[in-house]
Amino acid sequence: MSKLLNYSLKRIVICAAAVLVCVIPIYYVALSRLWQYELDEHNVIITPEAGREDKLLIIGAVTLLSALFFAVLLLALILVNRILSRGMWRPFYQTLQQIRQFDLENPDNIQFDKTNIAEFDELNESLRKLLQANIAAYNQQKEFADNASHELQTPLAIAQSKLELLSQSKALDNEEYSLIEAAQSALTRAGRINKNLLLLTKIENKQFADKEVIGLRELLNELCVQFSPFFEEKGSELKVTINAEPTVNGNKILLEILIGNLITNAIRHTLLPGNIYVTLAAGRLTVSNPGAESLNKAQLFKRFASASHNLPGTGLGLAIVKQIVMRYQWNVDYDFAEGYHHFILCFSKLKEVTAQ
Amino acid sequence: MKILIIEDEIELAKSMGTYLSDESYLCEYAANYAEALERIDLFEYDCILLDLMLPGGDGFQILEELKRQKKNDGVIIISAKNSMDDKINGLRIGADDYLAKPFHLPELAARVYSIIRRKSFGSTNVIEQNEIRVDVLGKAVTVEGKQMVLTKKEFDLLMYFIVNKNRVISKAALAEHLSGDVAALFDSYDFVYSHIKNLKRKLNDAGVGHYLKTMYGSGYKWEI
Repeated sequence: MSKLLNYSLKRIVICAAAVLVCVIPIYYVALSRLWQYELDEHNVIITPEAGREDKLLIIGAVTLLSALFFAVLLLALILVNRILSRGMWRPFYQTLQQIRQFDLENPDNIQFDKTNIAEFDELNESLRKLLQANIAAYNQQKEFADNASHELQTPLAIAQSKLELLSQSKALDNEEYSLIEAAQSALTRAGRINKNLLLLTKIENKQFADKEVIGLRELLNELCVQFSPFFEEKGSELKVTINAEPTVNGNKILLEILIGNLITNAIRHTLLPGNIYVTLAAGRLTVSNPGAESLNKAQLFKRFASASHNLPGTGLGLAIVKQIVMRYQWNVDYDFAEGYHHFILCFSKLKEVTAQ
Repeated sequence: MKILIIEDEIELAKSMGTYLSDESYLCEYAANYAEALERIDLFEYDCILLDLMLPGGDGFQILEELKRQKKNDGVIIISAKNSMDDKINGLRIGADDYLAKPFHLPELAARVYSIIRRKSFGSTNVIEQNEIRVDVLGKAVTVEGKQMVLTKKEFDLLMYFIVNKNRVISKAALAEHLSGDVAALFDSYDFVYSHIKNLKRKLNDAGVGHYLKTMYGSGYKWEI
Protein backbone atom coordinates (compact mmCIF):
# COMPACT_ATOMS: atom_id res chain seq x y z
CA MET A 1 0.00 0.00 0.00
CA SER A 2 1.41 3.36 -0.97
CA LYS A 3 0.94 6.64 0.78
CA LEU A 4 -1.02 9.40 -0.86
CA LEU A 5 2.06 11.68 -0.90
CA ASN A 6 4.12 9.10 -2.81
CA TYR A 7 1.28 8.14 -5.12
CA SER A 8 1.58 11.19 -7.41
CA LEU A 9 5.37 11.21 -7.14
CA LYS A 10 5.65 7.68 -8.50
CA ARG A 11 3.58 8.59 -11.54
CA ILE A 12 5.63 11.72 -12.15
CA VAL A 13 8.86 9.69 -12.13
CA ILE A 14 7.41 7.14 -14.55
CA CYS A 15 6.15 9.93 -16.79
CA ALA A 16 9.56 11.65 -16.78
CA ALA A 17 11.29 8.35 -17.65
CA ALA A 18 8.92 7.81 -20.58
CA VAL A 19 9.58 11.33 -21.82
CA LEU A 20 13.32 10.67 -21.61
CA VAL A 21 13.04 7.42 -23.61
CA CYS A 22 10.99 9.16 -26.31
CA VAL A 23 13.21 12.21 -26.41
CA ILE A 24 16.55 10.44 -27.02
CA PRO A 25 15.78 9.12 -30.60
CA ILE A 26 14.13 12.43 -31.56
CA TYR A 27 17.19 14.35 -30.40
CA TYR A 28 19.42 11.87 -32.15
CA VAL A 29 17.57 11.97 -35.48
CA ALA A 30 17.28 15.76 -35.36
CA LEU A 31 20.96 16.27 -34.55
CA SER A 32 22.23 13.75 -37.18
CA ARG A 33 20.07 15.41 -39.83
CA LEU A 34 21.35 18.83 -38.84
CA TRP A 35 24.94 17.61 -38.90
CA GLN A 36 24.52 15.90 -42.30
CA TYR A 37 22.95 19.07 -43.67
CA GLU A 38 25.86 21.18 -42.41
CA LEU A 39 28.41 18.76 -43.96
CA ASP A 40 26.63 18.82 -47.32
CA GLU A 41 26.29 22.59 -47.24
CA HIS A 42 30.03 23.10 -46.78
CA ASN A 43 31.03 20.13 -48.97
CA VAL A 44 32.92 18.47 -46.17
CA ILE A 45 33.74 14.86 -46.82
CA ILE A 46 34.76 12.63 -43.98
CA THR A 47 35.86 9.06 -43.94
CA PRO A 48 33.30 6.44 -42.81
CA GLU A 49 35.46 5.75 -39.69
CA ALA A 50 35.35 9.42 -38.70
CA GLY A 51 31.60 9.43 -39.41
CA ARG A 52 31.00 6.47 -37.08
CA GLU A 53 33.17 8.05 -34.37
CA ASP A 54 31.25 11.30 -34.55
CA LYS A 55 27.93 9.42 -34.51
CA LEU A 56 28.92 7.69 -31.23
CA LEU A 57 29.98 11.03 -29.79
CA ILE A 58 26.66 12.56 -30.70
CA ILE A 59 24.70 9.66 -29.16
CA GLY A 60 26.77 9.92 -25.98
CA ALA A 61 26.42 13.70 -25.74
CA VAL A 62 22.67 13.58 -26.42
CA THR A 63 22.09 10.85 -23.87
CA LEU A 64 24.13 12.65 -21.25
CA LEU A 65 22.39 15.96 -21.86
CA SER A 66 18.95 14.36 -21.79
CA ALA A 67 19.80 12.51 -18.57
CA LEU A 68 21.00 15.75 -17.02
CA PHE A 69 17.85 17.62 -17.94
CA PHE A 70 15.81 14.69 -16.79
CA ALA A 71 17.52 14.75 -13.39
CA VAL A 72 17.00 18.49 -13.00
CA LEU A 73 13.40 18.23 -14.09
CA LEU A 74 12.76 15.34 -11.74
CA LEU A 75 14.30 17.12 -8.79
CA ALA A 76 12.22 20.20 -9.46
CA LEU A 77 9.07 18.08 -9.81
CA ILE A 78 9.71 16.21 -6.58
CA LEU A 79 10.30 19.44 -4.74
CA VAL A 80 7.19 21.13 -6.09
CA ASN A 81 5.12 18.03 -5.49
CA ARG A 82 6.27 17.75 -1.91
CA ILE A 83 5.60 21.36 -1.08
CA LEU A 84 2.24 21.33 -2.82
CA SER A 85 1.08 18.01 -1.40
CA ARG A 86 2.08 18.88 2.12
CA GLY A 87 -0.05 21.96 2.09
CA MET A 88 -2.85 20.39 0.11
CA TRP A 89 -3.27 17.25 2.20
CA ARG A 90 -2.75 18.82 5.63
CA PRO A 91 -6.51 19.14 6.30
CA PHE A 92 -6.94 15.51 5.30
CA TYR A 93 -4.40 14.31 7.84
CA GLN A 94 -5.92 16.54 10.49
CA THR A 95 -9.31 15.01 9.84
CA LEU A 96 -7.80 11.54 9.95
CA GLN A 97 -6.20 12.30 13.30
CA GLN A 98 -9.51 13.54 14.66
CA ILE A 99 -11.35 10.42 13.58
CA ARG A 100 -8.68 8.22 15.10
CA GLN A 101 -9.14 9.94 18.44
CA PHE A 102 -12.90 9.67 18.29
CA ASP A 103 -14.47 7.84 21.19
CA LEU A 104 -18.20 7.11 21.42
CA GLU A 105 -18.01 7.32 25.18
CA ASN A 106 -16.67 10.83 24.95
CA PRO A 107 -18.00 12.36 21.72
CA ASP A 108 -17.25 16.01 22.52
CA ASN A 109 -13.54 15.87 21.79
CA ILE A 110 -14.01 15.85 18.02
CA GLN A 111 -13.69 19.21 16.26
CA PHE A 112 -13.13 19.66 12.51
CA ASP A 113 -11.39 22.95 11.62
CA LYS A 114 -12.32 25.06 8.62
CA THR A 115 -9.94 24.24 5.74
CA ASN A 116 -10.92 26.75 2.99
CA ILE A 117 -10.81 23.88 0.50
CA ALA A 118 -14.28 23.02 -0.73
CA GLU A 119 -13.73 19.24 -1.01
CA PHE A 120 -12.28 18.88 2.46
CA ASP A 121 -14.93 21.07 4.04
CA GLU A 122 -17.50 18.91 2.36
CA LEU A 123 -15.80 15.76 3.61
CA ASN A 124 -15.62 17.12 7.14
CA GLU A 125 -19.23 18.15 7.05
CA SER A 126 -20.30 14.69 5.88
CA LEU A 127 -18.16 13.06 8.55
CA ARG A 128 -19.62 15.32 11.19
CA LYS A 129 -23.13 14.35 10.13
CA LEU A 130 -22.22 10.66 10.06
CA LEU A 131 -20.67 10.81 13.51
CA GLN A 132 -23.58 12.74 14.91
CA ALA A 133 -25.97 10.12 13.61
CA ASN A 134 -23.80 7.47 15.27
CA ILE A 135 -23.68 9.33 18.55
CA ALA A 136 -27.45 9.76 18.47
CA ALA A 137 -27.97 6.05 17.74
CA TYR A 138 -25.57 5.11 20.51
CA ASN A 139 -27.27 7.37 23.04
CA GLN A 140 -30.61 6.03 22.00
CA GLN A 141 -29.42 2.47 22.53
CA LYS A 142 -28.04 3.37 25.93
CA GLU A 143 -31.29 5.02 26.85
CA PHE A 144 -33.10 1.92 25.63
CA ALA A 145 -31.11 -0.22 28.03
CA ASP A 146 -32.33 1.93 30.87
CA ASN A 147 -35.88 2.41 29.71
CA ALA A 148 -36.51 -1.11 28.50
CA SER A 149 -35.76 -2.42 31.96
CA HIS A 150 -38.22 -0.01 33.47
CA GLU A 151 -40.85 -0.52 30.84
CA LEU A 152 -40.71 -4.31 30.89
CA GLN A 153 -39.78 -5.13 34.46
CA THR A 154 -42.69 -3.15 35.83
CA PRO A 155 -45.44 -4.99 33.95
CA LEU A 156 -43.66 -8.24 34.80
CA ALA A 157 -43.65 -7.21 38.46
CA ILE A 158 -47.35 -6.36 38.27
CA ALA A 159 -48.26 -9.70 36.66
CA GLN A 160 -46.14 -11.62 39.17
CA SER A 161 -47.63 -9.81 42.15
CA LYS A 162 -51.19 -10.35 40.89
CA LEU A 163 -50.53 -14.06 40.47
CA GLU A 164 -49.08 -14.22 43.95
CA LEU A 165 -52.17 -12.50 45.36
CA LEU A 166 -54.38 -14.86 43.38
CA SER A 167 -52.55 -17.85 44.85
CA GLN A 168 -53.51 -16.64 48.33
CA SER A 169 -57.16 -17.14 47.50
CA LYS A 170 -58.81 -19.71 49.76
CA ALA A 171 -61.11 -21.12 47.09
CA LEU A 172 -58.38 -22.48 44.81
CA ASP A 173 -58.18 -26.15 44.04
CA ASN A 174 -55.22 -28.19 42.98
CA GLU A 175 -55.73 -27.69 39.26
CA GLU A 176 -56.18 -23.92 39.52
CA TYR A 177 -53.13 -23.63 41.67
CA SER A 178 -51.00 -25.53 39.19
CA LEU A 179 -52.23 -23.18 36.43
CA ILE A 180 -51.07 -20.20 38.47
CA GLU A 181 -47.78 -21.92 39.17
CA ALA A 182 -47.20 -22.57 35.44
CA ALA A 183 -48.00 -18.94 34.58
CA GLN A 184 -45.62 -17.82 37.31
CA SER A 185 -42.77 -19.94 36.04
CA ALA A 186 -43.24 -18.58 32.49
CA LEU A 187 -43.19 -15.07 33.90
CA THR A 188 -40.03 -15.79 35.86
CA ARG A 189 -38.44 -16.99 32.63
CA ALA A 190 -39.53 -13.88 30.74
CA GLY A 191 -38.07 -11.75 33.51
CA ARG A 192 -34.80 -13.64 33.31
CA ILE A 193 -34.56 -13.29 29.52
CA ASN A 194 -35.23 -9.59 29.88
CA LYS A 195 -32.54 -9.21 32.51
CA ASN A 196 -30.03 -11.10 30.37
CA LEU A 197 -30.81 -9.08 27.25
CA LEU A 198 -30.27 -5.91 29.23
CA LEU A 199 -27.00 -7.28 30.51
CA LEU A 200 -25.90 -8.01 26.94
CA THR A 201 -26.76 -4.47 25.84
CA LYS A 202 -24.88 -3.07 28.77
CA ILE A 203 -21.76 -5.07 27.99
CA GLU A 204 -22.00 -4.04 24.33
CA ASN A 205 -22.34 -0.42 25.39
CA LYS A 206 -19.33 -0.85 27.65
CA GLN A 207 -21.31 0.35 30.62
CA PHE A 208 -19.12 -1.52 33.05
CA ALA A 209 -16.24 0.15 34.81
CA ASP A 210 -12.98 -1.66 34.32
CA LYS A 211 -9.54 -2.25 35.64
CA GLU A 212 -9.53 -4.16 38.80
CA VAL A 213 -7.05 -6.89 39.55
CA ILE A 214 -8.95 -10.05 40.34
CA GLY A 215 -7.47 -13.22 41.78
CA LEU A 216 -9.06 -16.14 39.95
CA ARG A 217 -8.52 -18.57 42.81
CA GLU A 218 -10.57 -16.44 45.22
CA LEU A 219 -13.24 -15.88 42.60
CA LEU A 220 -13.55 -19.61 41.90
CA ASN A 221 -13.80 -20.38 45.59
CA GLU A 222 -16.61 -17.84 45.98
CA LEU A 223 -18.46 -19.34 43.04
CA CYS A 224 -18.06 -22.86 44.46
CA VAL A 225 -19.76 -21.75 47.67
CA GLN A 226 -22.59 -20.18 45.66
CA PHE A 227 -23.14 -23.28 43.56
CA SER A 228 -22.64 -25.91 46.26
CA PRO A 229 -26.35 -26.30 47.18
CA PHE A 230 -27.11 -27.49 43.65
CA PHE A 231 -24.34 -30.03 43.63
CA GLU A 232 -25.16 -31.33 47.10
CA GLU A 233 -28.74 -31.96 46.04
CA LYS A 234 -27.80 -33.86 42.90
CA GLY A 235 -25.16 -36.01 44.56
CA SER A 236 -22.51 -34.79 42.15
CA GLU A 237 -19.49 -32.61 42.63
CA LEU A 238 -17.80 -29.53 41.27
CA LYS A 239 -14.13 -30.54 41.13
CA VAL A 240 -11.76 -27.62 40.98
CA THR A 241 -8.09 -28.09 40.14
CA ILE A 242 -5.89 -25.06 40.53
CA ASN A 243 -2.45 -25.31 38.91
CA ALA A 244 -1.55 -21.64 38.95
CA GLU A 245 -2.41 -18.40 40.68
CA PRO A 246 -3.40 -16.18 37.79
CA THR A 247 -4.83 -12.72 38.21
CA VAL A 248 -6.70 -10.87 35.49
CA ASN A 249 -7.61 -7.27 34.86
CA GLY A 250 -11.30 -6.61 34.50
CA ASN A 251 -14.63 -6.01 36.12
CA LYS A 252 -15.40 -8.42 38.93
CA ILE A 253 -19.13 -8.63 38.29
CA LEU A 254 -18.56 -9.41 34.62
CA LEU A 255 -15.98 -12.05 35.44
CA GLU A 256 -18.34 -13.67 37.95
CA ILE A 257 -21.07 -13.72 35.31
CA LEU A 258 -18.64 -15.16 32.77
CA ILE A 259 -17.43 -18.08 34.86
CA GLY A 260 -20.83 -18.52 36.51
CA ASN A 261 -22.49 -18.87 33.11
CA LEU A 262 -19.96 -21.49 32.01
CA ILE A 263 -20.56 -23.52 35.17
CA THR A 264 -24.33 -23.09 34.93
CA ASN A 265 -24.20 -24.19 31.33
CA ALA A 266 -22.23 -27.27 32.35
CA ILE A 267 -24.71 -28.13 35.09
CA ARG A 268 -27.68 -27.55 32.83
CA HIS A 269 -26.40 -29.88 30.15
CA THR A 270 -25.14 -32.69 32.36
CA LEU A 271 -27.32 -35.61 33.27
CA LEU A 272 -26.72 -35.48 36.99
CA PRO A 273 -25.17 -37.09 38.95
CA GLY A 274 -22.05 -36.39 36.91
CA ASN A 275 -19.05 -34.46 38.05
CA ILE A 276 -18.12 -31.11 36.57
CA TYR A 277 -14.44 -30.25 36.39
CA VAL A 278 -12.97 -26.78 36.50
CA THR A 279 -9.24 -26.53 35.79
CA LEU A 280 -7.33 -23.34 36.29
CA ALA A 281 -3.90 -23.06 34.70
CA ALA A 282 -1.76 -20.07 33.82
CA GLY A 283 -3.85 -17.88 31.53
CA ARG A 284 -6.59 -20.42 30.93
CA LEU A 285 -9.62 -21.86 32.61
CA THR A 286 -11.34 -25.03 31.45
CA VAL A 287 -14.85 -26.11 32.40
CA SER A 288 -15.61 -29.71 31.51
CA ASN A 289 -18.76 -31.76 31.83
CA PRO A 290 -19.76 -35.21 30.55
CA GLY A 291 -21.80 -35.28 27.36
CA ALA A 292 -22.96 -37.69 24.68
CA GLU A 293 -21.93 -35.99 21.47
CA SER A 294 -20.16 -32.91 20.15
CA LEU A 295 -22.14 -29.69 19.99
CA ASN A 296 -22.45 -27.43 16.97
CA LYS A 297 -19.55 -25.05 17.45
CA ALA A 298 -20.78 -22.48 14.94
CA GLN A 299 -24.13 -22.01 16.68
CA LEU A 300 -22.96 -22.37 20.25
CA PHE A 301 -22.30 -18.77 21.18
CA LYS A 302 -25.18 -17.22 19.24
CA ARG A 303 -28.18 -15.67 20.91
CA PHE A 304 -31.12 -18.00 21.52
CA ALA A 305 -29.28 -20.77 19.64
CA SER A 306 -29.44 -23.31 22.46
CA ALA A 307 -32.89 -22.49 23.83
CA SER A 308 -35.13 -25.52 23.55
CA HIS A 309 -38.30 -26.79 25.12
CA ASN A 310 -36.50 -29.58 26.94
CA LEU A 311 -34.02 -27.27 28.59
CA PRO A 312 -35.82 -24.03 29.22
CA GLY A 313 -32.83 -21.77 29.72
CA THR A 314 -32.80 -18.22 28.47
CA GLY A 315 -30.60 -19.14 25.50
CA LEU A 316 -28.43 -16.17 26.32
CA GLY A 317 -25.88 -17.57 28.77
CA LEU A 318 -23.19 -18.40 26.21
CA ALA A 319 -23.93 -15.27 24.15
CA ILE A 320 -23.15 -13.28 27.29
CA VAL A 321 -19.96 -15.32 27.76
CA LYS A 322 -18.92 -14.48 24.20
CA GLN A 323 -19.70 -10.80 24.65
CA ILE A 324 -17.67 -10.50 27.85
CA VAL A 325 -14.77 -12.38 26.29
CA MET A 326 -14.83 -10.05 23.26
CA ARG A 327 -14.98 -7.05 25.54
CA TYR A 328 -11.64 -7.98 27.08
CA GLN A 329 -10.13 -9.41 23.89
CA TRP A 330 -9.86 -12.82 25.48
CA ASN A 331 -10.82 -16.01 23.75
CA VAL A 332 -13.31 -18.79 24.41
CA ASP A 333 -13.28 -22.11 22.62
CA TYR A 334 -15.24 -25.33 22.67
CA ASP A 335 -13.90 -28.83 22.32
CA PHE A 336 -15.35 -32.31 22.63
CA ALA A 337 -13.05 -35.14 23.67
CA GLU A 338 -13.52 -38.58 25.26
CA GLY A 339 -17.10 -38.02 26.31
CA TYR A 340 -16.53 -34.57 27.77
CA HIS A 341 -17.51 -31.10 26.65
CA HIS A 342 -14.68 -28.67 27.29
CA PHE A 343 -15.13 -24.93 27.37
CA ILE A 344 -11.71 -23.30 27.31
CA LEU A 345 -11.34 -19.71 28.36
CA CYS A 346 -8.03 -18.04 27.48
CA PHE A 347 -7.44 -14.83 29.36
CA SER A 348 -4.88 -13.55 26.94
CA LYS A 349 -4.45 -14.32 23.24
CA LEU A 350 -0.70 -13.71 23.48
CA LYS A 351 -0.19 -16.25 26.21
CA GLU A 352 -2.03 -18.86 24.21
CA VAL A 353 0.32 -18.39 21.28
CA THR A 354 3.42 -18.77 23.41
CA ALA A 355 2.03 -21.86 25.10
CA GLN A 356 1.59 -23.73 21.85
CA MET B 1 -46.97 0.28 61.78
CA LYS B 2 -47.28 2.61 58.83
CA ILE B 3 -45.86 1.96 55.41
CA LEU B 4 -45.71 4.46 52.55
CA ILE B 5 -45.68 3.00 49.05
CA ILE B 6 -44.22 5.47 46.53
CA GLU B 7 -44.90 3.89 43.15
CA ASP B 8 -46.42 5.34 40.01
CA GLU B 9 -47.75 2.01 38.75
CA ILE B 10 -51.04 1.91 40.60
CA GLU B 11 -51.62 -1.80 39.99
CA LEU B 12 -48.26 -2.74 41.46
CA ALA B 13 -48.76 -0.39 44.40
CA LYS B 14 -52.17 -1.99 45.04
CA SER B 15 -50.70 -5.50 44.97
CA MET B 16 -47.98 -4.55 47.43
CA GLY B 17 -50.52 -2.82 49.65
CA THR B 18 -52.93 -5.75 49.57
CA TYR B 19 -50.21 -8.24 50.44
CA LEU B 20 -48.71 -6.11 53.20
CA SER B 21 -51.98 -4.97 54.77
CA ASP B 22 -52.69 -7.03 57.81
CA GLU B 23 -53.46 -6.23 61.42
CA SER B 24 -50.07 -4.64 62.03
CA TYR B 25 -49.46 -2.75 58.76
CA LEU B 26 -51.30 0.29 57.46
CA CYS B 27 -50.40 1.19 53.89
CA GLU B 28 -50.55 4.62 52.30
CA TYR B 29 -49.77 5.49 48.70
CA ALA B 30 -48.05 8.22 46.73
CA ALA B 31 -48.08 8.04 42.93
CA ASN B 32 -45.81 10.93 42.05
CA TYR B 33 -42.95 13.04 43.28
CA ALA B 34 -44.97 15.95 44.69
CA GLU B 35 -47.39 13.66 46.50
CA ALA B 36 -44.51 11.70 47.98
CA LEU B 37 -42.78 14.84 49.27
CA GLU B 38 -46.02 16.07 50.82
CA ARG B 39 -46.64 12.83 52.66
CA ILE B 40 -43.08 12.68 53.90
CA ASP B 41 -43.34 16.23 55.21
CA LEU B 42 -46.58 15.57 57.06
CA PHE B 43 -46.21 12.08 58.44
CA GLU B 44 -43.77 9.64 59.93
CA TYR B 45 -43.56 6.15 58.48
CA ASP B 46 -41.99 2.98 59.76
CA CYS B 47 -41.03 1.96 56.27
CA ILE B 48 -41.07 3.65 52.88
CA LEU B 49 -41.08 1.65 49.66
CA LEU B 50 -39.52 3.92 47.08
CA ASP B 51 -39.60 3.55 43.29
CA LEU B 52 -36.69 5.36 41.66
CA MET B 53 -38.33 6.60 38.45
CA LEU B 54 -41.29 8.76 39.34
CA PRO B 55 -43.38 11.25 37.42
CA GLY B 56 -42.13 14.70 38.38
CA GLY B 57 -38.84 13.72 39.94
CA ASP B 58 -36.21 11.22 40.84
CA GLY B 59 -36.52 8.81 43.76
CA PHE B 60 -32.99 9.68 44.83
CA GLN B 61 -34.14 13.27 45.49
CA ILE B 62 -36.80 11.98 47.86
CA LEU B 63 -34.14 9.97 49.63
CA GLU B 64 -31.97 13.05 49.94
CA GLU B 65 -34.90 15.09 51.24
CA LEU B 66 -35.54 12.44 53.91
CA LYS B 67 -31.93 12.59 55.03
CA ARG B 68 -32.00 16.40 54.99
CA GLN B 69 -34.98 16.38 57.31
CA LYS B 70 -33.11 13.87 59.48
CA LYS B 71 -36.06 11.48 59.40
CA ASN B 72 -35.63 8.01 60.72
CA ASP B 73 -37.98 6.21 58.32
CA GLY B 74 -36.67 2.96 56.94
CA VAL B 75 -36.40 3.03 53.15
CA ILE B 76 -36.44 0.15 50.69
CA ILE B 77 -35.69 1.13 47.11
CA ILE B 78 -37.79 -0.79 44.62
CA SER B 79 -36.46 -0.27 41.15
CA ALA B 80 -36.62 -1.75 37.70
CA LYS B 81 -32.98 -0.89 37.20
CA ASN B 82 -31.03 -3.74 38.63
CA SER B 83 -27.78 -1.93 38.20
CA MET B 84 -24.96 -1.99 40.67
CA ASP B 85 -24.49 1.80 40.43
CA ASP B 86 -28.05 2.49 41.50
CA LYS B 87 -27.77 0.01 44.34
CA ILE B 88 -24.57 1.51 45.66
CA ASN B 89 -25.81 5.04 45.14
CA GLY B 90 -29.10 4.36 46.92
CA LEU B 91 -27.50 2.63 49.89
CA ARG B 92 -24.88 5.39 50.12
CA ILE B 93 -27.50 8.15 50.28
CA GLY B 94 -29.17 6.25 53.08
CA ALA B 95 -31.63 3.65 51.85
CA ASP B 96 -31.75 0.52 54.02
CA ASP B 97 -32.37 -2.04 51.32
CA TYR B 98 -32.77 -2.51 47.57
CA LEU B 99 -35.19 -4.78 45.76
CA ALA B 100 -35.13 -5.17 41.98
CA LYS B 101 -38.31 -5.65 39.95
CA PRO B 102 -39.83 -8.13 39.38
CA PHE B 103 -39.83 -9.39 42.95
CA HIS B 104 -41.88 -11.85 44.96
CA LEU B 105 -44.34 -10.36 47.41
CA PRO B 106 -43.24 -12.68 50.26
CA GLU B 107 -39.70 -11.38 49.70
CA LEU B 108 -40.96 -7.81 49.97
CA ALA B 109 -42.80 -8.67 53.19
CA ALA B 110 -39.64 -10.26 54.63
CA ARG B 111 -37.53 -7.18 53.83
CA VAL B 112 -40.13 -4.77 55.24
CA TYR B 113 -40.41 -6.87 58.35
CA SER B 114 -36.69 -6.99 58.96
CA ILE B 115 -36.34 -3.22 58.52
CA ILE B 116 -39.20 -2.39 60.83
CA ARG B 117 -37.91 -4.77 63.47
CA ARG B 118 -34.41 -3.35 63.22
CA LYS B 119 -35.68 0.21 63.54
CA SER B 120 -38.27 -0.27 66.28
CA PHE B 121 -37.06 -3.03 68.51
CA GLY B 122 -33.36 -2.38 68.70
CA SER B 123 -31.44 -5.06 70.48
CA THR B 124 -34.38 -6.94 71.98
CA ASN B 125 -35.57 -8.50 68.80
CA VAL B 126 -37.61 -11.52 69.70
CA ILE B 127 -40.63 -12.96 67.91
CA GLU B 128 -42.99 -15.32 69.65
CA GLN B 129 -45.52 -17.47 67.83
CA ASN B 130 -47.31 -20.00 69.99
CA GLU B 131 -44.60 -22.28 71.40
CA ILE B 132 -41.82 -20.97 69.13
CA ARG B 133 -39.52 -18.16 70.26
CA VAL B 134 -37.12 -16.68 67.72
CA ASP B 135 -34.26 -14.38 68.66
CA VAL B 136 -33.81 -12.59 65.34
CA LEU B 137 -30.46 -11.00 66.11
CA GLY B 138 -28.93 -14.00 67.83
CA LYS B 139 -30.42 -16.26 65.15
CA ALA B 140 -31.56 -18.72 67.79
CA VAL B 141 -34.85 -20.62 67.97
CA THR B 142 -36.21 -22.05 71.19
CA VAL B 143 -39.27 -24.25 71.66
CA GLU B 144 -40.64 -24.27 75.21
CA GLY B 145 -37.24 -23.24 76.53
CA LYS B 146 -35.33 -25.84 74.54
CA GLN B 147 -32.87 -24.66 71.90
CA MET B 148 -33.36 -25.89 68.33
CA VAL B 149 -30.28 -26.43 66.19
CA LEU B 150 -30.91 -25.08 62.70
CA THR B 151 -28.58 -24.45 59.78
CA LYS B 152 -28.43 -20.91 58.40
CA LYS B 153 -30.64 -21.84 55.46
CA GLU B 154 -33.19 -23.51 57.70
CA PHE B 155 -33.27 -20.47 59.96
CA ASP B 156 -33.77 -18.21 56.93
CA LEU B 157 -36.61 -20.43 55.76
CA LEU B 158 -38.30 -20.42 59.14
CA MET B 159 -38.08 -16.62 59.36
CA TYR B 160 -39.51 -16.32 55.86
CA PHE B 161 -42.48 -18.48 56.82
CA ILE B 162 -43.08 -16.69 60.10
CA VAL B 163 -43.06 -13.29 58.39
CA ASN B 164 -45.43 -14.54 55.68
CA LYS B 165 -47.64 -16.55 58.02
CA ASN B 166 -50.94 -17.83 56.65
CA ARG B 167 -49.89 -17.19 53.06
CA VAL B 168 -49.08 -19.57 50.25
CA ILE B 169 -45.47 -19.22 49.16
CA SER B 170 -44.36 -20.72 45.87
CA LYS B 171 -41.22 -22.80 45.49
CA ALA B 172 -39.83 -20.18 43.11
CA ALA B 173 -40.11 -17.47 45.75
CA LEU B 174 -38.45 -19.73 48.33
CA ALA B 175 -35.64 -20.66 45.95
CA GLU B 176 -34.88 -17.05 45.17
CA HIS B 177 -34.98 -16.10 48.81
CA LEU B 178 -32.57 -18.88 49.75
CA SER B 179 -29.94 -18.42 47.10
CA GLY B 180 -30.55 -15.10 45.43
CA ASP B 181 -29.46 -14.74 41.84
CA VAL B 182 -27.97 -18.22 41.58
CA ALA B 183 -31.43 -19.75 41.96
CA ALA B 184 -32.54 -17.76 38.95
CA LEU B 185 -30.11 -19.75 36.84
CA PHE B 186 -31.87 -23.03 37.44
CA ASP B 187 -35.29 -24.33 36.74
CA SER B 188 -35.44 -27.09 39.26
CA TYR B 189 -36.29 -26.23 42.81
CA ASP B 190 -35.50 -29.63 44.29
CA PHE B 191 -33.01 -28.16 46.70
CA VAL B 192 -35.81 -26.11 48.26
CA TYR B 193 -37.70 -29.30 48.89
CA SER B 194 -34.83 -30.90 50.77
CA HIS B 195 -34.34 -27.86 53.01
CA ILE B 196 -38.06 -27.85 53.76
CA LYS B 197 -37.97 -31.56 54.52
CA ASN B 198 -35.12 -31.07 57.02
CA LEU B 199 -36.84 -28.09 58.64
CA LYS B 200 -40.10 -30.03 58.95
CA ARG B 201 -38.30 -32.95 60.58
CA LYS B 202 -36.51 -30.70 63.08
CA LEU B 203 -39.71 -28.84 63.97
CA ASN B 204 -41.48 -32.15 64.46
CA ASP B 205 -38.67 -33.53 66.64
CA ALA B 206 -38.77 -30.39 68.80
CA GLY B 207 -42.50 -30.87 69.34
CA VAL B 208 -43.74 -27.92 67.32
CA GLY B 209 -47.28 -28.17 66.01
CA HIS B 210 -47.94 -29.03 62.38
CA TYR B 211 -47.84 -25.44 61.10
CA LEU B 212 -45.79 -25.90 57.94
CA LYS B 213 -48.13 -27.22 55.30
CA THR B 214 -47.59 -28.27 51.73
CA MET B 215 -50.09 -26.69 49.36
CA TYR B 216 -50.94 -28.68 46.25
CA GLY B 217 -47.40 -29.95 45.97
CA SER B 218 -45.91 -26.75 44.63
CA GLY B 219 -46.25 -24.22 47.42
CA TYR B 220 -45.96 -24.02 51.20
CA LYS B 221 -47.85 -22.28 53.95
CA TRP B 222 -47.09 -21.50 57.60
CA GLU B 223 -50.50 -21.75 59.20
CA ILE B 224 -50.96 -20.30 62.67
